[in-house]
Amino acid sequence: MPPLISDEDPGAVSRRGFLQLLGGIAAAGLEGCFRAPAGEIVPYVRTPEGAVPGNPLHYATALSLDGFALGVVATSYEGRPVKIEGNPLHPESLGATRIFEQASLFQLYDPARARDALERGEPRAWRTFLDATGKRARELRSRRGAGLWFLLEPGASPTIAALRARLQEALPECRLRSWSALAPDAASAGARIAFGRPLEARIAPARAEVIAVLDDDFAQDHVREARELADRRVPGPQLCRLYVAEARPSATGTLADHRLPIRAGRIEALAVALVKTLADRLPSPPELRALRVSVGPEEARWVQALAADLASRPGAGLVVAGRRQPPAVHAAAHAVNALLGNLGASVTFRAPLLHDPLAGRAVIAELAAAMAAGAVDTLVVSAYNPCFGAPPELDFAAKLLQVPFSVYLGARADETAAAATWFLPAAHPFETWGDARGSDGTASIVQPLLAPLFGGVSEVDLLAAFLGDPRPAHEIVRATWSASRPAPDFGAFWQRSLQRGVVDGTATPEVRPEPRWDAIAGALHAAAPAASGPIELDLYPDAKVFDGRFAPNRWLQELPDPVTKQTWGNAALLAPATAQRLGIGTGDHLRLVVGAQVVTVPALLLPGTAEDAVALALGYGGSEAPADHRGGDGYRLRGRGQDWIVPGVRVEPAGGREELAITQGHFRLEGRDLARQVTVAELPSLGGVEVPLSIYPPVDYPGHRWGLSIDLARCTGCSACVMACASENNTPVVGHAEVVLGREMHWLRIDRYLEGPDAAPEAITMPLMCVHCEDAPCEYVCPVNATVHSDEGLNEMIYNRCVGTRYCSNNCPYKVRRFNFLDWGYQKGPVLRMLQNPDVTVRSRGVMEKCTYCVQRIERARIDAQVSGRTLRDGDIRTACQQACPTRAIVFGDLADAGSEVSRLHRDRRAYALLGELGTRPRTLHLARVKNPNPALAEG
Amino acid sequence: MPGLADPLERDPVLATDRDDAALGDRLLGYVWQPPRRAWWAMFLLSASGVGLLGIAAVYTFGWGVGTWGVQIPVAWAFAITEFVWWIGIGHAGTLISAILLLFLQRWRTSINRFAETMTLFAVMCAGMFPVLHLGRPWFAYWLIPYPATMRVWPQFRSALVWDMFAVSTYFTVSLLFWYLGLVPDLAALRDASQRRWQRIAYGILALGWRGSARHWRHHRSAYLLLAGLATPLVVSVHTVVSMDFAISLVPGWHSTIFPPYFVAGAVFSGFALVATLIIPARRFLRLGEVITLRHLDNMCKVMLVMGWVVAYAYLVETFLAFYGGDRVEMQLAVDRVRGHYAVATWATVFCNVVVPQAFWSSRVRRSPIAVWIASILINVGMYLERYVIIVASLAHDFVPSAWRPFAPTWVDVSLYVGTLGFFFMMFLLAIKLLPIVPLTEIREMRHEVARAPELGVLAGSTEVSR
Repeated sequence: MPPLISDEDPGAVSRRGFLQLLGGIAAAGLEGCFRAPAGEIVPYVRTPEGAVPGNPLHYATALSLDGFALGVVATSYEGRPVKIEGNPLHPESLGATRIFEQASLFQLYDPARARDALERGEPRAWRTFLDATGKRARELRSRRGAGLWFLLEPGASPTIAALRARLQEALPECRLRSWSALAPDAASAGARIAFGRPLEARIAPARAEVIAVLDDDFAQDHVREARELADRRVPGPQLCRLYVAEARPSATGTLADHRLPIRAGRIEALAVALVKTLADRLPSPPELRALRVSVGPEEARWVQALAADLASRPGAGLVVAGRRQPPAVHAAAHAVNALLGNLGASVTFRAPLLHDPLAGRAVIAELAAAMAAGAVDTLVVSAYNPCFGAPPELDFAAKLLQVPFSVYLGARADETAAAATWFLPAAHPFETWGDARGSDGTASIVQPLLAPLFGGVSEVDLLAAFLGDPRPAHEIVRATWSASRPAPDFGAFWQRSLQRGVVDGTATPEVRPEPRWDAIAGALHAAAPAASGPIELDLYPDAKVFDGRFAPNRWLQELPDPVTKQTWGNAALLAPATAQRLGIGTGDHLRLVVGAQVVTVPALLLPGTAEDAVALALGYGGSEAPADHRGGDGYRLRGRGQDWIVPGVRVEPAGGREELAITQGHFRLEGRDLARQVTVAELPSLGGVEVPLSIYPPVDYPGHRWGLSIDLARCTGCSACVMACASENNTPVVGHAEVVLGREMHWLRIDRYLEGPDAAPEAITMPLMCVHCEDAPCEYVCPVNATVHSDEGLNEMIYNRCVGTRYCSNNCPYKVRRFNFLDWGYQKGPVLRMLQNPDVTVRSRGVMEKCTYCVQRIERARIDAQVSGRTLRDGDIRTACQQACPTRAIVFGDLADAGSEVSRLHRDRRAYALLGELGTRPRTLHLARVKNPNPALAEG
Repeated sequence: MPGLADPLERDPVLATDRDDAALGDRLLGYVWQPPRRAWWAMFLLSASGVGLLGIAAVYTFGWGVGTWGVQIPVAWAFAITEFVWWIGIGHAGTLISAILLLFLQRWRTSINRFAETMTLFAVMCAGMFPVLHLGRPWFAYWLIPYPATMRVWPQFRSALVWDMFAVSTYFTVSLLFWYLGLVPDLAALRDASQRRWQRIAYGILALGWRGSARHWRHHRSAYLLLAGLATPLVVSVHTVVSMDFAISLVPGWHSTIFPPYFVAGAVFSGFALVATLIIPARRFLRLGEVITLRHLDNMCKVMLVMGWVVAYAYLVETFLAFYGGDRVEMQLAVDRVRGHYAVATWATVFCNVVVPQAFWSSRVRRSPIAVWIASILINVGMYLERYVIIVASLAHDFVPSAWRPFAPTWVDVSLYVGTLGFFFMMFLLAIKLLPIVPLTEIREMRHEVARAPELGVLAGSTEVSR
C-alpha cells in the first residue's frame, strides 16, 4: 500500500513503497479474510518505514457503486482511514467525490456491521464454510454445475470477470447473473433498439451547448458529468442552456434554465414529439417524420423551443434520458443525438463493460421462475439484498427459503441473510483486494487499508471458494493483471497502478454505432399514448441510501436530502395543488395502494413536483433502516413490470401525522436578496462587491488573509460538501428527534430556495457555512472571549473557553453556528471512535461550534510547506468541502495574494457579500447564479 | 411635609384609630401566631414548586440545556424571557422605596416593604436563569473579571457582562436598602419576643438597635443615601437588560427604543405584581387599615401611565419597522401579528394595553378584586411581551431557511413554575417571620397625621377598608 502522496523524495518511493507494500500486505492481513483478526493490539516492533505517528498517509483505491468505480484517495492515520477524497487521476472522480464515497467511511466503522459467518443463524468459521462449499462444489462439478446460480453485484471488475470465466468453464451449466434493484436495464434496451446492440452511452456535457434532460439526475449521480455541466453554467462563451423535463425536482432540475414539471409517464410522448419536431426540421429518415405527436399545448411550446435550440447547434447538443424512462425514450434520445450529429461528440458509446448488460427485473424474474420450478439447488448471492429489493410479486424470500444451499454475502444481517442458509459478512472495500472499472473502462486496483475489522470476505473470495482456488484475493487480483503483463515489468506496473489508483491505458475504445431508424421509429410508434387520469407513482433512486444499502448509515440518514432537505426517512412527494385536492398536508400519513400492496408514508408537499404524481424514494423501509424512522418501502409498490413509474396508485389519508425531520425552515426568499440570480442579459448590471462604511478602523493583516468563494452558478446542491465537512470535522449525528427540534450539527448547509409559482418554481441552491465576517457580530457579544479573530482573519471558536451562552448564535445573521445542546453520544464505542479525525477536537456538550475554514488543513499545509522550505502556494490548502465538491463551486485561498483563484473570484462582477448590508464584511463571498433562458420561452 | 392627603382623594393613606402600642400588636401579632392552615397549604404548594425547580435544575445540569426546547435559531427562549420578567418585577421595589421616598410620596410607606421583599426574591429568581441556561454552567464564574492564571478577561463589549454587573449591583443595593429599613422593626420584634430563642434571633438581626436619637439620625441619613444610590439603578438595570437585545443585529431586537421601553415595562410589571400580592395579603392579614384603597388607587394610576408608555413603545416599534423600510424588519412586524406567534402578540396587546384602560374608572381602581385580576393579566401580558420579543424575533430573522418556531419542553415549564414556587415560598416565609408592613414608619406617619388634623388626613377614617 504505497502512499500516493508522501513527503519523501520521489526517487525513494519505489524502494520504500515496495517494502511498505510488503509490510502492508502483512499488516492489512490477508489472512484476516480467512480468520478473525487477533484480539490484542500488538505494538510495532519495528516501525514501518514512512509511518510517522500523527502524520497521515494517503492511499489510492476505488469505491464501486452501480457497477462502476470512482477513484478515491483515503487518508489514514496509524492504519486507520479517517477521510476519503477523490483521486484527481481518476477520470470519473477528477479529485472530487459524491456523498456515497464520503459516507462509506461510516460503512466501514458501522458497529452494527455483521461480524460472523452464519449457517442458519448459527455462527460458523470461514473454514467450515469452505469445507461445506468444497463438498458442494465437487457435487456440482459432477453435474457440470446444473442447479447452481450466482446473483452477483453488477460490476465491471476484471478479476471478477476472470473468475466468472473460470466458473463458467469449470461448471458450464451454472448461471452467472448480476442483479440490482436499480439496474438501468431500460438504457441497455434502448441502446439495443437504437443500435442493435446493448451499448453503454457516456455523456459529455462539456461538449454540449444545449442540453435536454429527460428525467435524469446526472448532476447528482456522477462527478465527472456534474463537473462538465457546471463548467458550462458559468457565464462566458461556453455557457450552455439546460432543459429538464422531470416529475420530481432533482439536482439537475435545479440547475435548469427551463424545467418542465411533467408526469414521468408523459415524458415518452414528449420524447416522441421532440424526435418528430427535429425530424421535420432536419434532414431525416421518413420513418421519423411519420411519427404522431400527442402532447399538450404547454409541452408542445417547450418542445418547439427546445427543438429549435438543438437544431441551431448541430453537433453541440445533448439529449439525456434517465434510467427510470422506458427503452423507447432512450431510443428517442439516441435518435435525436444521431440526428443532430452528437454521436461521438457529446455522447460516446462503448461495448458493455458490465459483466451483464441486463441486471434488473428480467434477471430476478428468471431466477425466481427457476427457483419455483425447483431448478435451483445452490444459490450464491452477493447482490444487495434481493429479498428486500425484488419485485413483491416474485415472493423472493419465500422461494429463497426453499433453496437447499444458498449463500448470501452482505454487509449486514438483513432480510436476505435471514432467508439464506449461509450468511457471510462482506468486507468493506477498504479491507480487501480487488479491482474495478470506471464508466470509461479505466481500471483501478482496490487495495486494503486495514485488516477486516469484523472478519469479512469479498466477492473474489466467495467466487474463489466455489472454484476451490485457495489463493488469497491479493494473489488472485495480481494474477489477473500479471496475465496480460510480461513478468519483468509487472512489479513496476503494479506499483505504479497502486500508487496512482488507476491502471494506465485501460480505458476501452469508443465505438461509433449507426442508428437503426426503422427500429427506433417502430419503438416510438408503439410508445403508449400518455396515460392520464389517476395518480402516477414515481419511484426513484434515493440520493442518500441508494438501493437501501446505505439506509443504516447514520451519516447519510442525517444528511439533508439535496432537494427536500428531509433527514431520517423518506416521504411521498406531492405537488401542493395535488395535495390540496387530496386534503393532505406535510407530515400527514398517506396510504399508497398498488394492487394488494399498501405502504404508509408521510406526505411532503414539494413545489415543482408534477401534478397528479406521487414520488417516493426507494431504499427505505427495510429491516436494516434505523428502527424508529424506517420510512416507506417503495419496492413493495413496484407493480407488475412497473419498476419506476406506476400509473395507477391510490393515495388516501391514513390518519395520523408526524413531524418530518426537515432541516430547512422556509423555502421562499420572501423578496430578500440572499441567493442571487441573474439572467445573462442582466449580467452587466452586476458590479461586484463594495466595502461598506464602517466605524471600525481597518484591521491590518500582514500575512495571509484567508477567504472563500462559493459559485452559485456551479452549485448543484448535491451535498457532497456537507458530507465531507461532517467527515473531516467530526460533526456529530444527533438523530431524528433532535433534527426535528432544530439541532442538527452540520457546519455547512445547503439552502434551497424557490421562486415563482408553486406549480413550476425556479429553485436555487446556496451552500452556507460560517462566512468569517471581518466585523463579526458573534465576537462582540461573547462575554468570555470564546470567539475571536485570528491574525489571518479567521473567526475562531475557542471551545475550551466557551461557556455556552449561545448569544453568538443569536447574533449571527447567517445562523451558521451549531450548539452542542446535549452530549451527542454517537461517537461512543471503540469502533466509531476510530472514525474521528484526530486533527479536529471532538466538542463536548455545552459549547458552540462552527465552520473553521478547516483550520487544521491550513496548519497542516503550513507545516508541510515549512518542512519542505517553501512558502504556501495557492491550492496548497483545500477545505474539505472544496475538495469534495464535484463542480468546483467552492474555492479557498489567500486574499492577500492577488493572483490566487479566490482573489480572482472575489473580484468577479458576480461576487456579492451575503447580507453585506449589515456591515459584517464576510470573508466568504457568493457568486450570483446565471440563467440563460431561451427568449422563446422567457415570457409566461 | 406637604399634605398627607390630597383634597381630591377620597381615601386616606392610613385608616386606623389605634395607638402605637395597638398598632404594634396589630402589625407584629401575626409573627407570633402559629401558622394557619391556609398558610400551610400555600406553603406546601409553593415548596413543592421549589422541589420541581430542583428536579428541573438537576436535570438541566446533568443532561444539558438540550433538555429545554431551545434550538438554532431560537437559542434563547423561556429562560431569558423569565430572566427579564423577574428582573422587571424586581423593579417596583426600588422604585417604590427609593424614588417615591425621594419624591416624598408618603403613601409608599405601607407598601414599601412588600415591594422591597418582592424585589429581592424576584431578583433571586431572575439570577438563577442566566446560570441555568449556560451550556457549561460550572464555568459561569468566567463572566466575572478576576485575575485568572491564563490572563483571560471577560469581554467587556458584551452586554452579558454588563448584565452581570448591573444585576449583582442591583441585588446588593436592594438587599442593603431592605435590611436597613428592617432594622428598627426587627428591634421591635426582638422587644416583643416572648421566647428566648426568638429574642436572640431577632436580637442578632436587629444589630443592637436601641432606638436612640443617634441611631435614628444615622439610620435616616443612611437610608436616604441608599435611596439616592438605588435610584439610578431603577433605570440602569433594565436599561442594561434591554441592551442584551438592543446591541445585537437581530431584527426585533436591534432598536434604540429598548432602554426606556424596558424600564417602563419593568415598572409596569413590578407594580402589577405588588398589587397581585398585596391584595390577598391585605385581606388575609387584615391590613386594610394600613394598606388602604388609596394605595391601590395610586398603584393603578402608575400602571395606567406605564401601560401607555408601553403601548407607545409597541406603536413606535411597529411604525419604525415600516418607516425604516427594511424588508426584514417589516416582515418580522407582520409575522408578529399574523404568524406563529400572533396569539401571543395579540394577547400581549390585550393584557398590556387594553386591560389597564379599566383603570380610568375610579370604581375599578378601588375594587381590590378588579385590580387583582387586572394585575395578574398585566403580568401575563408582560411575560408574553418578552416572549414575543425574544422568541418571535429569533425564530424569524435574516435567513429564511433557518426559520423555526420554538416549543417549550416540560423542563422549560418546570423551571418557570419552580421559580414561581420559590418566589411564593420565600414570600410566605417573609410574611410569617418579618414585619411585612414597616411598623416604625407607620407609627411615624400616624403621629404626623395626628399632629396635622387640619390637613384632614384622617377624614373618613371610620370607613373600614374592604
